[in-house]
Amino acid sequence: MHLAAQILLNGILLGGLYGLMALGMGLVWGVLNIVNLAHGAFIMLGGYAVYYCYAGLGIDPFAALPIAMVGLFCLGYLVQRFVLSLIARAALLSTLLVTFGIDVVLTYLALFAFSADFRTINPSYAGDHFDLGGLTVPLAQLGAFATALVLAGGLRMFLARTRTGRAIRATAQNLTAARLHGINPRRIYPLSFGIGTALAGAAGGLYGVVSQVTPYMGNTLTAKSFVIAILGGLDRPLGVIAGGVALGIAEATTDIYLDPTYRNAIGFGMLVGILVLRPTRLFERA
Amino acid sequence: MTTGRWLVISCVAALAAVPLLGSATMVQYGISALSIAALAQAWNILGGYTGYASFGNSVFYGLGAYGTAIAMVDGHQSFGVGLGCGVALAVACAWLFGGPILRLRGPYFAIATLGLSGAMSAVVSNLGFAGKNVGLILPLYRGDELFYELSLALLVLCTLAVAWIARSRFGAGLVAIRENEDAALVMGVNTPRYKALALMLAAGFSAVAGGIHAYWSTFIDPASAFDSTLNVKMVIMTVFGGPGTVLGPIVGAFSLSAISELLASQLSTMASAFYGLVIVLAVVFMPGGLMELGRGFRRGGRHYFLDNMRRFRL
Repeated sequence: MHLAAQILLNGILLGGLYGLMALGMGLVWGVLNIVNLAHGAFIMLGGYAVYYCYAGLGIDPFAALPIAMVGLFCLGYLVQRFVLSLIARAALLSTLLVTFGIDVVLTYLALFAFSADFRTINPSYAGDHFDLGGLTVPLAQLGAFATALVLAGGLRMFLARTRTGRAIRATAQNLTAARLHGINPRRIYPLSFGIGTALAGAAGGLYGVVSQVTPYMGNTLTAKSFVIAILGGLDRPLGVIAGGVALGIAEATTDIYLDPTYRNAIGFGMLVGILVLRPTRLFERA
Repeated sequence: MTTGRWLVISCVAALAAVPLLGSATMVQYGISALSIAALAQAWNILGGYTGYASFGNSVFYGLGAYGTAIAMVDGHQSFGVGLGCGVALAVACAWLFGGPILRLRGPYFAIATLGLSGAMSAVVSNLGFAGKNVGLILPLYRGDELFYELSLALLVLCTLAVAWIARSRFGAGLVAIRENEDAALVMGVNTPRYKALALMLAAGFSAVAGGIHAYWSTFIDPASAFDSTLNVKMVIMTVFGGPGTVLGPIVGAFSLSAISELLASQLSTMASAFYGLVIVLAVVFMPGGLMELGRGFRRGGRHYFLDNMRRFRL
């Protein structure tokens, strides 16, 4: 009973972070109609940005998150503006191939620049934890979870309340109608993509605190983000966090009862299971 | 047509003669270039003709390698029998996975295949008879010439299969699925069976390449057998050469292998980043690949590139 509760807690804390990863992917998918296979690579870059802020400049990882987010926002904005905008109206296969290519470029540039070593962001409080009713609550993980919740809530507020947020939602719902109302997709697309990569950057930094950063971490995280984005629904930020928590719990359970190496297999099993059971629910644009 | 056929036959004969004339390094480079070309050609069946972008074909390569290795190491079988086991394993898995996965379309299919290779290497690294994380050591066979000729034979066989697909009723069905799957279904194409057959064909050819490579390198482990850079290469080479054409994947594979060999002698990570750049530029500027480039360039000069770029711009 106690073990089960601890597993549940670990799963929830990690899952919040997964949800944050999926948030950016879901936003880009919903608004630009692009499944961004480079999403994991942007997460990885965020991880390195925070790592170097911490290891090189001595900035606390949580304080370094805004820096990583601004950097990743600019990168994402430029990538959309100068590369993805060229294929904005192309068939889905083209957008998959191009984002796949961007993923390859970013991964190997990172390998070249940062080497293949595993990097861990280890602030002084990394190992700290406290007891809560017999359960061990790791502090860093709790901080990551809370940050993920705050960012998801912030995105929700932004999309619901601000003028730009409404314009983004309108573009996602109906591009033609949005244009007729004076919304310029040339402004909205790079902005949405930049927000997506900024969220990926934040998720990468937090992931570096609770786990490790390597140039190759992107692929599995892309697949996980995709699973969660479908689980949670593309247009509901808090639903996406809940989807992340579901995956986190499933993975934590696998770790204890099966073997940690099966982690990726579980994510994949969930993916296929969900897709086969309800394949046409979301964003099937003709 | 007959001159074209003679040209192809003399090209194959020239390639087959390379081990007699060329140096040892040339033969080794040839083995990897030929097998990656065969993998690209196998990817072409599903990705080029059927329009299903698979990012997990290396799974079948890995299964072929493991099937061969397990039969040879644990079962003490000959290489031929092992290769057969590898192919059977990969085709069986393609049939098994194909059922659920091929029901998915577009991005759903792409991501499912992306997850497949990670899942498969996780499963294999937990199997005792597959050597877990450590891997398997195969009996040593010194004869690069044999592996070279085998790879060449595989590429020829795979290309013949694709050439048959290109002009057969089966291939027409696959192209119909690529252009409009619902319409194809309505017109009487048995789309689930066609897709499953395409996947199993691709799996079989990829598995042979895996088996040959396993015996050649005499050692496999989960990381090398389910290497995701292979996926990168086969997708990019096919798209660069010309997806959905018979010779495109070979042209793409040979030209990119040569360029990356030149780059790799300088900086190996840069060679991989270069692949990514190639695919982005190829999709934006010449979506038909090298095969269409000649025709398009003759007609429009540099406007061919600009028109392609402008076509899908926002």
